[in-house]
Amino acid sequence: MSHSRIRRSVPALAAACFLGGLVVGCGGGENDSPDDALRVALLTSGPVSDAGWYAGAYEGLLLIEESLGAQVSHQQTRSPAEFDEAFFSYGSSGYDLVFAHGFEYQDAALRAGEEFPELTIVVSSGGRISDNVRSLIFRLEEGSYLAGMMAGGLTRSRVVGMVGGVAIPPAQGTFRAFEAGARSIDPDIEVLEAFIGSWDDVAAAREAATAQLNRGADVLVHNTDAASFGVFQAVREANGDENPVWAIGMNRDQNDVAPEVIAGSAAIDIPRAFLDVASRFTAGTLPPGALDLSLGEGVVDFIVNPEALGRIPADLLARIDEARVAIREGMLEVPRIEFLEEEPGGP
Amino acid sequence: MGGAAVEMRSVSKRFGSVEALADANLSARPGEVHALLGENGAGKTTLMRVLCGMLRPDGGEVLVEGRRLPPEGTRAAAAAGVGMVHQHFTLVPSLTVAENVALGTREGGGFRLALERVHERLTELEQVTGLPVDPGAAVAGLSVGAKQRVEILKALYRDPRVLVLDEPTTVLGPQEVDWLFGVLRSLVEEARTVLLIGHKLDEILRVADRVTVLRRGRTVLAEGREAVDAPGLARAMIGRETTPAARPARVEAGERVARLKAVGALGEDGRTAVRDVTLEVHRGEIVGIGGVEGNGQRELALVLSGRRRPAAGSADLPATVSLIPQDRGAGGLVAGFDLAENTALAFHDDDAHRRGPLIDWAAMRGTAHEIVTGFDVRAPGWRATAQSLSGGNRQKLLVGRELARAPDLLVAENPMRGLDIAAAAFLRAKLVELKGGGPGAEEAGGAGGRPAGAAPGIVLFSTDLDEVLDLADRVFVLVRGQLIAVPEAERNPAGMGRPMFGSEQA
Amino acid sequence: MIRQLLRPRLRSRRIGPLAAGVVALLAATLLAAAGLALAGYDPAAAGRALVSGAFGSWERFASITLVRATPLILTGLAVALAFRAGVWNIGAEGQLYAGAVAAVWVGLTFPGAPAWLLLPGAMAAAAVAGGLWTLVPVGLKLRAGVGEVITTILMNFVAIHTVAWLVHGPLQEARGVFPQTDPVALAARLPRLGSGRLHAGFPVAVVLAGALWWLLRHSAWGFRVRAVGASIRAAAVSGRIHTGRVVLGAFLLSGMLAGLAGGVEVAGVTFALYENLSPGYGYTAIAVALLAGLNPLAVLLAAGFFGVLQAGAAAMQRDVGVPAVWVSAIEALVILAVVAADRFLRRGMAGKGGG
Repeated sequence: MSHSRIRRSVPALAAACFLGGLVVGCGGGENDSPDDALRVALLTSGPVSDAGWYAGAYEGLLLIEESLGAQVSHQQTRSPAEFDEAFFSYGSSGYDLVFAHGFEYQDAALRAGEEFPELTIVVSSGGRISDNVRSLIFRLEEGSYLAGMMAGGLTRSRVVGMVGGVAIPPAQGTFRAFEAGARSIDPDIEVLEAFIGSWDDVAAAREAATAQLNRGADVLVHNTDAASFGVFQAVREANGDENPVWAIGMNRDQNDVAPEVIAGSAAIDIPRAFLDVASRFTAGTLPPGALDLSLGEGVVDFIVNPEALGRIPADLLARIDEARVAIREGMLEVPRIEFLEEEPGGP
Repeated sequence: MGGAAVEMRSVSKRFGSVEALADANLSARPGEVHALLGENGAGKTTLMRVLCGMLRPDGGEVLVEGRRLPPEGTRAAAAAGVGMVHQHFTLVPSLTVAENVALGTREGGGFRLALERVHERLTELEQVTGLPVDPGAAVAGLSVGAKQRVEILKALYRDPRVLVLDEPTTVLGPQEVDWLFGVLRSLVEEARTVLLIGHKLDEILRVADRVTVLRRGRTVLAEGREAVDAPGLARAMIGRETTPAARPARVEAGERVARLKAVGALGEDGRTAVRDVTLEVHRGEIVGIGGVEGNGQRELALVLSGRRRPAAGSADLPATVSLIPQDRGAGGLVAGFDLAENTALAFHDDDAHRRGPLIDWAAMRGTAHEIVTGFDVRAPGWRATAQSLSGGNRQKLLVGRELARAPDLLVAENPMRGLDIAAAAFLRAKLVELKGGGPGAEEAGGAGGRPAGAAPGIVLFSTDLDEVLDLADRVFVLVRGQLIAVPEAERNPAGMGRPMFGSEQA
Repeated sequence: MIRQLLRPRLRSRRIGPLAAGVVALLAATLLAAAGLALAGYDPAAAGRALVSGAFGSWERFASITLVRATPLILTGLAVALAFRAGVWNIGAEGQLYAGAVAAVWVGLTFPGAPAWLLLPGAMAAAAVAGGLWTLVPVGLKLRAGVGEVITTILMNFVAIHTVAWLVHGPLQEARGVFPQTDPVALAARLPRLGSGRLHAGFPVAVVLAGALWWLLRHSAWGFRVRAVGASIRAAAVSGRIHTGRVVLGAFLLSGMLAGLAGGVEVAGVTFALYENLSPGYGYTAIAVALLAGLNPLAVLLAAGFFGVLQAGAAAMQRDVGVPAVWVSAIEALVILAVVAADRFLRRGMAGKGGG
């Protein structure tokens, strides 16, 4: 009995030795950074290699480092249990500003905001705010409306499709606007909609896209992250000389991801938005509550794929340009879904 | 000396603190059946594993046909022409006979090609040995005896110069033993050497040309067949005189302790293994059930001991039933448990061995100590696990534990198998004592207190017909799951053999 | 004794494997360092980040490392107990989710209840739900002989998809916007220990590890579990052990421990139910249990090891900028090295058997 007991605890001892060795070998190192530098961190719950939502955020972080001389850090969290931990880590090691890039961080951000009053947290698409927790809301609907117009003008089958990640208000909002844009060209267009329940499941996205193509759709838009590759792939495979099929990028300028089938991208200039926020933060002019960034600020737009220009009717491009001006000047109201829990009081 | 096929000189081997071989010598000539005898733990199997290159000896040397073998390495031994049939089956149940034989042979070409050759060779071997085995049959479906035949064929397939068989007869019926010995004789006629490990003296004396006896790792006797007899060999093995087993006196049976009514049971494969068995067992009697292995013994023993619910009929059983399963304790002991833990399997929820929900390990060690001393279990130490004991000592530990429960009914399946002469004689005496309600019950019953005369009923399953005839008050045979009573007038090997092998008579 | 230790044969048995273990660890460290250097990161800085991330200060150690270790201890115990009984419960992940759902449900449904009632109630509900989640595999195993490996894995999928459905449907936050539940009532949360994030779930897990160790070693129940796990046939033949009942009990208790892990995670860390609540605790638990040799006390060490590794890995991302993919690869490398070292050491210890 005792023999087997000893034998059983050997591996645990081995692990303990390993840890002990680490401590002795490396010694407890403390961060020794200059106190005066601006320290900015980014949290994402997906890989920054997605050529989309997260990649834009990471670019923004690097832009802040470059432009403002800030000390920056990034962590990819894998589960909700890590949200609080990440805020705790940054909060307790003297960071000034944390970009939490996704609604999923909002509850943990509120808790961390209470615990670390010195810390400012900006939650992208966040629905909850407090004194030092802000929400950064991208009016991507405005770009998506223009994308819808493009789809409405390009479709021959008069069926367009939308493949979404998780059915949350910001994503649903872009689809409502897309729908409205398409119907502004042709009120009888049929619009298909599917949510795959994940932001980065390429296979599921491809399956959903193929299903919509089979039901006659010939222009597909997505609102996912890495899963967008699945949509583009499905479109690329269905595309033919006789029956051209189009895809539309979202979140980030994805025109070069699949230049032969993408007509354009409804994009957020996330790096620019982040730099904007960080600059205002250092200047002390960051407004409390939610920060809306839209076409007007140049943060959101619809970017036509230059390689596809020759295949797009000129009058359609002209109509899109007209609509862009109308939105910017407040002449055209784009449908959207409000999801902020409490509107910020005061300016 | 130059003519020896196998020459092992001063071989020694130690496992931890146990000296398995001290000064073992063996010399076997071509063309002879050479028997290797000894008690359990005497080192027979260890010596043969050294010969086959499976164990590295600490000292001594091994020569096969005059050439010295390297101290370890099964390939070198196999190349020198040594083949071994192990005590435990080494067959893959899901493969066919031919596939099993092909495993481990190095035929040229792909596996398919090899299989065809194997089929051919097996057919040849079948003619030579007169041994019917279907090369295409799946091993899982074979009887124990047939599996043994496959093991032997597998060894013969490699055309060994020296064939080692480790207690091959324990799982065979009388006719199969005769067949096996015939094969061995024909092998030695081809000037091969057969090394036969055994413990049944009369069997060994029937077939052996020469005999080597090991005792506690040393060679104590090496003689030709003509120079030895059974009592002399027994003396050499044990180191002292044995008293011949006394045939137990018939005792008046007491009250009924168990009753089976029209019981049926299923085997592991889900097929009916036992059908329509009706049996009553009384205190103070030994019911002997003979039969060839694989005829439903295991299933009936499980039902009779309450370890398994019958699939049909009813079983009316007493509170405490002891079961000694076969397989040298492997089925009843946990290999990785030490002596006290294995004892606890039977006593952990016993009032005398626990305090509330906790096990009283001190009391448990006490009981284990009684068993170990009472049954002469040789263990390297207190913390020894069951797997570190030799097969015979495991069996003694198991038997001791089961008797210590002071059962109302004792079901034993081949309990003597694997025991050496002294231990078998001791167990025999115990059984006889027990059924008489004598001191054996009191002494072994650590849990204490049973009224005098409350002897258990005993059911003894055995493939050894002599054992059944010697010990039992009533005799049955189990044939294809059916229990057939042997009338008093037929109480002899022939009378028992008739329902087992011949046409069934009314 | 000393003379014995100096005997060459013994030395080769004990120290040889030890050296092999050390070599395995060194090799893993060097490989990881070389990989990092090739990818353009400073291995020394990465190592420092790993250590300071896990041990940098007491607060950090308690708030990150121990918090990470807590669900691994509980699920590790669940797996260790099941495996000791010979039950291959691969379903700790699903049982954890079942427990999390139950704890959240209780925490949301009775917000007015006092803490002394609500918190234990939520934890009990979590344990019961985890136990109930094993019922299908248990029933199929005992009644129909269906292997629990497959069924428990399948039940993991059922649990994960059920949680997804719940946070989009019946349990979704009151505003119905985001796929998560509302946070549970304050009274349903585990109290914090000290100023950091360490919650009362950690000492509970430690006490449970001690209790399970003690029960397995000293109680009749623990003995039955060990016997059934070591040889179900010998246990059945002994006639004193109802093997089905032992399997049932160990399986249920295993599920309850995993369910409690889910409850503790919700009540101590996330406070709400999310789709991907667990980063695979139930699977990592298998590695934890095996690394601990199925010994409940060693589970504490093994879970601590994984906690350190994960806390340190996150710090490597933050402080040195090593990408998450690299960090995962290094984690896996270190685990492999520890397992390999363990094998070498164990082989050395087992050298005495046989015969």
